[in-house]
Amino acid sequence: MDPSEVEFLAEKEVVKIIPNFSLDKVYLIGGDLGPFNPGLPVGCPRVAGSEPKTETEVSGLFLLHGWMLVSTVHADKLEEMRDLERKEDAFTPVPSPYYMELTKLLLNYASDNIPKADEIRTLVKDIWDTRVAKLRLSADSFISQMEAHAKLDNLTLMEINTIRSFLLDSLNCMYKLRSNLQPGSSKGQFTGLLIHKNLGRLGFGLPHGPFVTQKTFLGD
Amino acid sequence: MDTQSYLPVQPGVGMEENFLSLDDILLSHERLPIRTECVFPRLGFLEKSSDSQDIPEGTKMELPLWLSKGLYERKRRVLSVELPKVYREGWRTVFNADPNVVDLHKMGPYYYGLGSQMLHFDSPENPEIGQTLLQTFIGRFRRTMDSSQNAYNEDTSALVERLDCLEKTLFKSGQSGLNGFQSWEKGQASQLTASSLVLNYRKRKMTDVQP
Repeated sequence: MDPSEVEFLAEKEVVKIIPNFSLDKVYLIGGDLGPFNPGLPVGCPRVAGSEPKTETEVSGLFLLHGWMLVSTVHADKLEEMRDLERKEDAFTPVPSPYYMELTKLLLNYASDNIPKADEIRTLVKDIWDTRVAKLRLSADSFISQMEAHAKLDNLTLMEINTIRSFLLDSLNCMYKLRSNLQPGSSKGQFTGLLIHKNLGRLGFGLPHGPFVTQKTFLGD
Repeated sequence: MDTQSYLPVQPGVGMEENFLSLDDILLSHERLPIRTECVFPRLGFLEKSSDSQDIPEGTKMELPLWLSKGLYERKRRVLSVELPKVYREGWRTVFNADPNVVDLHKMGPYYYGLGSQMLHFDSPENPEIGQTLLQTFIGRFRRTMDSSQNAYNEDTSALVERLDCLEKTLFKSGQSGLNGFQSWEKGQASQLTASSLVLNYRKRKMTDVQP
């Protein structure tokens, strides 16, 4: 899965905007939006939230996601989260299943509308780094203890996505190396297929018997 | 995002080989030390050290894996296969002590693959070999993972030179995860680029393409 696909999924997440325009309720397949009144916060998917700013250039459009308010009401909430994340061994619950993607999307589109944008960016990146380090640590102990299954509580899609292909490939390899240990798993004689494959590769005909006495092989 | 014009077939790793995997084809050409248990008539040309027409019983020579695997039979003893020295007791102790210090590329480069294939030949040491392979993989896993997930935009040749072929494929998939994330974070993922097939096609001269 590509990170941009994860980002696409994140765009459905509802963010709060404070519109400075008025619009009646919009009826969409995914649900109704609005009505929009200037100054009143209203929920709206991210993908729709960014549109007014870029297209109609309504200045002062305010995009927020509750947890992102570092400045005033939820002061230091992100900092608390970061400290908790560093203290705990397990993964702590994150504010949104798409926190990384939303941070990037919102800060890139509306960094001038969000107070302390730089601080938020640093804090979220700190949380991400701590979590990825933890993820790697648990992947290592998962492999070294030869576990068969794991619960991925509180992990987000983007985090899983960065390590997915590597971890799955190594688990495959480990499974095969482990099945070597099982007595009589696929042990025993070579399959006929194998020798045919190799002889065919060298341009020999298929052997019809023990090939030391085979005439074609000897090149007579 | 790396797009390829074909999908490479992964090596089979365990006792089975993948028919279409390039790595497994190369693996099947690894040479094994063997000892003949019967006369091989008129095959003396394979054994360069003697001038006789036949290969006599009890000759020590090297044969590729695919041939020894085909000739080996438990009931009718045609040849006996000796363990290559990396799988013997002495090296196994080294691997068990610290798998990270070993240069598996020099030792292999198909250490895991060949080791699994060695289990086809009945040997009293088979359980230990299988155990050592698994423990070596587990012991080296952390280093492979850390280096593949952290080396962004730098020369990785120093990191992969001591890795086994199997670990190199793992390293690559780790790198693709990291590169995908980094290019998304920098905003490169949203840019549209021309397909590599189109770019390569333009480089070719029309005279080469047309019959």
